Amino acid sequence: MTSIGTGYDLSVSTYSPDGRLFQVEYATKAVEAAGVAVGLRCKDGIILGVERLLHSKLLVKGANRRIASLDEHIGMAGAGLLADGKHVARRGREEAASFRENYNSPVTVQILSDRISAYLQAYTCYGSVRPFGLSTILGGVDKTGPKLFCIEPSGVYYGYRAVAVGKGKALAKTELEKIVNKEVEGQTSLTVREAVSEIARIIYLVHDDNKDKDFELEMTWVCEESGNKHAPVPADLLAEAEAKAKAALEEGMEED
Amino acid sequence: MWKQRSPGQSSFNDYNTFPLPQTQRVQPSYAHGPTFHTQQPLVTGTSVLGIKFDKGVMIAADNLASYGSLARFRDIQRLHPLGQHTLIGVAGDMSDYQWLQKELDALLREEDALALTDSHPSLSPKNIYQLLSNLFYARRSKMNPVWNAVLVGGWDKVKAESFLAYVDLLGTTYTAPTLATGFGAHLAQPLLREAYEAKAGIDGTGPLLTQEEAEKVLEDCMKVLFYRDARSINKFQIATITAEGSTISDSKSADTYWAFAEGLRGYGAQTQ
Amino acid sequence: MALYSNAPASYADHTSAPIEHRFNPYSDNGGSILAIAGKDFSVIAGDTRQSEGYNIQTRYARKVWQLTDKAVLATNGFAADGNNFVKRVKQRLEWYEHAHHKPMGLKSIARMIQTMLYAKRFFPYYVYNILGGIEEDGSGAVYSFDPVGSYEREACRAAGAAQSLIQPFLDNQIYFKNQTPETGSEPFIPGNLPLSTVLSLVVDSFTSATERHIEVGDGMEIYVVMNKGRTTDDLLDKKKLGPGMEVEELGALGEGGGERTFLVRAALKRD
Repeated sequence: MTSIGTGYDLSVSTYSPDGRLFQVEYATKAVEAAGVAVGLRCKDGIILGVERLLHSKLLVKGANRRIASLDEHIGMAGAGLLADGKHVARRGREEAASFRENYNSPVTVQILSDRISAYLQAYTCYGSVRPFGLSTILGGVDKTGPKLFCIEPSGVYYGYRAVAVGKGKALAKTELEKIVNKEVEGQTSLTVREAVSEIARIIYLVHDDNKDKDFELEMTWVCEESGNKHAPVPADLLAEAEAKAKAALEEGMEED
Repeated sequence: MWKQRSPGQSSFNDYNTFPLPQTQRVQPSYAHGPTFHTQQPLVTGTSVLGIKFDKGVMIAADNLASYGSLARFRDIQRLHPLGQHTLIGVAGDMSDYQWLQKELDALLREEDALALTDSHPSLSPKNIYQLLSNLFYARRSKMNPVWNAVLVGGWDKVKAESFLAYVDLLGTTYTAPTLATGFGAHLAQPLLREAYEAKAGIDGTGPLLTQEEAEKVLEDCMKVLFYRDARSINKFQIATITAEGSTISDSKSADTYWAFAEGLRGYGAQTQ
Repeated sequence: MALYSNAPASYADHTSAPIEHRFNPYSDNGGSILAIAGKDFSVIAGDTRQSEGYNIQTRYARKVWQLTDKAVLATNGFAADGNNFVKRVKQRLEWYEHAHHKPMGLKSIARMIQTMLYAKRFFPYYVYNILGGIEEDGSGAVYSFDPVGSYEREACRAAGAAQSLIQPFLDNQIYFKNQTPETGSEPFIPGNLPLSTVLSLVVDSFTSATERHIEVGDGMEIYVVMNKGRTTDDLLDKKKLGPGMEVEELGALGEGGGERTFLVRAALKRD
């Protein structure tokens, strides 16, 4: 943290001499502290998964979900400050509804990403505000097909084949790359149904048992099976995937 | 630096990035002149009928939207589902109806989106009816009515019973096992009540009509309305709402009999 | 006249004025209500028919509402206004209870209703209200209102479509109008009739109104509010009730101060 004490990290409207915005960089630190969030684009839909870390045994099961719906066909997984995620989700819903109102058609994932990105970017321009401590994975199926985007606290966004943010994103990314490479090499391309167990496996793999206590696996998809609507992955399918993921993890441990 | 405004405070929306409700549009009042409220309906739909049966409720409406006495649009649907277990049938001004559709669909879409996160129960038919009642009464109280009469049909999942109720542009509300709007209140309601009470009795404690019987009496009523309501058309749909959800039939027509018209004297051109 | 007009009289013909169509925000939904106060009880009743013109909209719509353990309100006129007015009254009573940790008393409810009605003096609730219940001193009371808030406490009041049929009957039976006591006997005092007599008067009022007024009928709901400690035998004795009449006690809304409210239902003719 070379920036500390230099005075260039006090306001988001002040650059450091080498052209960085430290407050924005600190915001990404908040993202890195969050449980991992993963998005995967398959040929027949998209799937979102998060590792919801449980900071207390007293929490209600299934509460404080990190995946939100922005429209019928678009889901959002947030990594970072939970409350920032709620705020951005709300803004996203308003943008999606406003697009429908103005154009009488569902917003595409790209346009919605662009709108949210512009909103986040505005919070990197003024001294009176702080940037969002949040990376947003946006996934959905629109008229252009299945689409996946990730918007960072700076407001920058990219389209992805697969993406991971949060704690342990590096490991998750290498696992995702294996899946994506297979398809690039023309071997197999995953269906969302197959991807459910892959995402579960990756999240279980990335989860650090030593550092973090319990977690709940949260997974949603948009695909033909869900009527091209953003919906939770069916409970039985999710349970099956979790069981497989746990088994694979134990198998891996025995090999070590 | 301290003089800069935060996004929420700026007097104009520099980057189009501020929260939507705060977006300020430059609209000087003189640019618009006086505001006008709906004072009369223009393109209208006629009667809507509703009846409860043993497994749910049915709502019927024809496919015509009239422009005065002109049969202007002859293939419009006046039955509209709201979620899984609620459906409305709408008479009156069709532009107000389309506005209503848009508003309610947007509301339900937001409800669905929020339900994914907090898994709250979906709006019951009663919830939607209360919302409509409040909306219609609030608008009539602003002397800016939503010019419709609406039947709300539904299935209450919690009570496991059917729901049928009426609300109109005055905010008047009521519920009954058979309902009809407009001309239907004069021509069809007596027939519906007769059929309903024949089985259920006047206290409604007996058995209700079966689905087939209910559909039959609705088809009869739509025929009677077509014979005598000049703003109707012999092309209608029947919606059925049960515990399994709502379905809307394809458009159908009643078998009509006009041979007697040959014998009528006193109307139109005649040779003798 | 020619001195004062500079145009021929025919120009003033009112039939040539443009006909203005304007949205009418009101309707009349028929029906009738009535309330009678006793010494230690109050009876508030209404029929259940809701109509518009010659159409019966429904055979069961409520016009009488239990507000607190000792107050019942009957509304009559434009049903949409009635329902929404009751909704607002109930909301105000809830706020009062939250603020003061006690339910609002009857005379205060009456004054509040006047204020709420008068607040809409220039776009009135087209509703005639009759409030019945038990006063703080334990006496049965009836308050009647006009749509813009004029009100008074009375021994009895009828309102609605059949007001003109029922009120003269009540004037005679409750206020003893056009009756003279037998020479040497006590003078009449209104508001002291026994409950059984009052119930008969209510039932007779509605059955008669049903016979002669098309907007009255289908069913009748009679609320009886009794002061604490009062006997209920004269109401709950099955033999005293007419055929087809059913009584149900409505549980206390609040903590229960001892007052008891009963709902008597009876059928009226449907034609």
